[in-house]
Amino acid sequence: MSADVELNNVSVTFGSFYAAKSVNVKINGGEFFSFLGPSGCGKTTLLRAISGFQDPSEGSVLIDNKDMFGIGPNKRPTSLIFQNLALFPLMSVSENIAFSLEVRGISKKDRQKRADELLELIALEGQGEKKVHQLSGGQKQRVAIARALAVEPKVLLLDEPLSALDLKLRQRMRTELREIQKRVNITFIYITHDQGEALTMSDRIAVMNEGEIEQIGPCDEVYNNPLTPFVATFVGENNPLFGKVKEINQNKVKIETPDGDFLSTMNENKKLNIGDEAIAFVRPESLFIPRDGDNFDNQIKVNIESFEFEGNIKNFYATLSSGTRIKFSIPNAIDTSSISSGTKLQLGFESIKSSILPKAQLAID
Amino acid sequence: MKPTYFINFMMGMYIFIFFAYLFGPLIVMSITAFNSAEFPSISPWECFSFRWFNEGKIAYDGQHLAGLLSDWRLHDGIISSLIIGAGVVSLSVPIGMAAAIVLTQVRSQLRDIYYSISIMPVLFPGVIIGISTVVLWDRIAGLGGDGFISDVGRNGIFLTILAQTCFISTYCFLIFVARLQRFDQTQEEAALDLGATQTQVFFKILVPYLMPAIASAAVIAFLFSFENYNTTVFSILSDQTLTTVIASKVRLGISPALSALALTIIALTIIAAVTYEILRRRSEKKYAQSQEIFVKEKAASGRINKEYKVGFKVPKGIVAILLVLVFATYGATQIVKNDLYGQSCIDAADQEKKSKFLEQLQTLESNELTEEELSGGSLGGTEDYGDIFGDPSLFQDFGGFD
Repeated sequence: MSADVELNNVSVTFGSFYAAKSVNVKINGGEFFSFLGPSGCGKTTLLRAISGFQDPSEGSVLIDNKDMFGIGPNKRPTSLIFQNLALFPLMSVSENIAFSLEVRGISKKDRQKRADELLELIALEGQGEKKVHQLSGGQKQRVAIARALAVEPKVLLLDEPLSALDLKLRQRMRTELREIQKRVNITFIYITHDQGEALTMSDRIAVMNEGEIEQIGPCDEVYNNPLTPFVATFVGENNPLFGKVKEINQNKVKIETPDGDFLSTMNENKKLNIGDEAIAFVRPESLFIPRDGDNFDNQIKVNIESFEFEGNIKNFYATLSSGTRIKFSIPNAIDTSSISSGTKLQLGFESIKSSILPKAQLAID
Repeated sequence: MKPTYFINFMMGMYIFIFFAYLFGPLIVMSITAFNSAEFPSISPWECFSFRWFNEGKIAYDGQHLAGLLSDWRLHDGIISSLIIGAGVVSLSVPIGMAAAIVLTQVRSQLRDIYYSISIMPVLFPGVIIGISTVVLWDRIAGLGGDGFISDVGRNGIFLTILAQTCFISTYCFLIFVARLQRFDQTQEEAALDLGATQTQVFFKILVPYLMPAIASAAVIAFLFSFENYNTTVFSILSDQTLTTVIASKVRLGISPALSALALTIIALTIIAAVTYEILRRRSEKKYAQSQEIFVKEKAASGRINKEYKVGFKVPKGIVAILLVLVFATYGATQIVKNDLYGQSCIDAADQEKKSKFLEQLQTLESNELTEEELSGGSLGGTEDYGDIFGDPSLFQDFGGFD
């Protein structure tokens, strides 16, 4: 049982401050959908509007095509998993999981049965009698999920539930969350500022900035074809090259920058004209050191400043002739021992792997 | 002498003086409860006796000095105090809790004002609260003629419960505020989100969380009510509580029965405190054990030190306990050696007092005053001073008032 969630022109204001502004999004039943954005961008406000803790100032929230205005959180077919999990410390694990059934007056025997089922789902069989403080971080996480699923909600809302976990656990929980979602087959709406989480788990993501949605789409589309410079720099890393449009040939655009001309690919939704101020983006992993026989659309001269070793890749920081700083990554499998600070290199990148957008605000690191 | 020794010595002295100051009077008072003399004293020591805990004594001159068990006014007072205490607990705990919950709901500036008003009753003198309660209820009682309202409005116990609740609920309020400040409000939201109604959230989430605060607020409210005097003395009207009974007794002359009462209260308090502490430690130990099991489950077995054993630890209070034992033994041997206990000692003491009393009576009788002595005698008679005002030269230099 899953439900569509539709936000129609939703705005939430606090005084004169817009926490969310004219948000339009339709989330399909059974979808894993993420809102991705920096802290304070309004994504938690949207989640509270869907769960019923905050009615929108304008617009409407529809769940299963039903307007939810004025319906409290305890009457909506949604369950929310809080950032701090908000497990009840005075209750046992089973009591926590069966809380939603207890308040609905379901008999103790049925409650216990359902709690046992859910404990099996989250691989914590036989641990129902433990107190919450006796669980590890990952186990608490799973209990919170089980508790939210106990009433069989049509929509599960998750407010950065993995942010308190360490890296390894977080990576494992991503896979587990995705598996649980497939098993129970309900709509998951996930809030995060971590683009890695959003990209690995979601069917589609919405990137938010300052209360507004910048782009909605499948993960690879958002990553490969960003619609705004904010999305280009917030989702993953990107090197911006500022300049002016010199030539347009269908979707291939030549941009003139202080470091030379580069060929880039234009998004069909963001038309540019000759002479417009624009930014060409190229990702660190799309920059290559050419080998014999390689023939790239674009060539770029860099002066290596420093590098760092990350394990699977090596990151290099370099300057262009104009002083612009760029970053590029080389897989560790390639021998780069000859490159050190002060080395001058010629890099290449394909125009298809570069996108060009009208000049606008970037995401601040 | 090394400076650290000196500092330690001074610290020890300070602590000794501080505790002597705190507990000295209580210890002296407790000892006087066991002296059979009519006036609470340690020296002269008459006899070791439990009479002030029991029936008291009938003095050689026929005066009845009641002991703890035979003093019906004290018993009535204790019963009223217990009733008032229960009433105050059942009113001020819910009032304090409600006020504290309201405080979490109001915002910003209003919050400070609300807080200031809420704690104000603590700052009022208890006398004023007592008097104002009586004045208000006297008006209310006067409204309806004879009847229920008139009876209630002039009932001392009812008025005392109301008057004490005025300021005791504020202490409860402060206890609840402290606990609520640490409450994670997302728990309420989580419960709501899981389908609980506001009432269910209150009873299933908030009340269980507040349980320790409810317990300590109830204890504090009861203790404050039980020992209150300055509000009670006005609002109690014609009834009596323990404190007003004691106060009126002190006015007539202090008796060792009060020492006996004090010792009983101290003993009950210590027993309650020790029981609480034992229970607390037991539950803490249980928690620590469960945590230990948890850690052992989680940690790799190689990291657990299997050889770890708890060594024998000397309890830190042992010195104090030994000291008390030594003094008690010394006191007991002295009492036994000098035969300062039991009925024979008391009889002997009474006999001695009686004979002294008779002696004094005889002396008085033999020195019966003459008519002349009663009218002033050789020193105090009127004739010596009679003509002070008769002296014509006395005021001769006085120029008059104008």
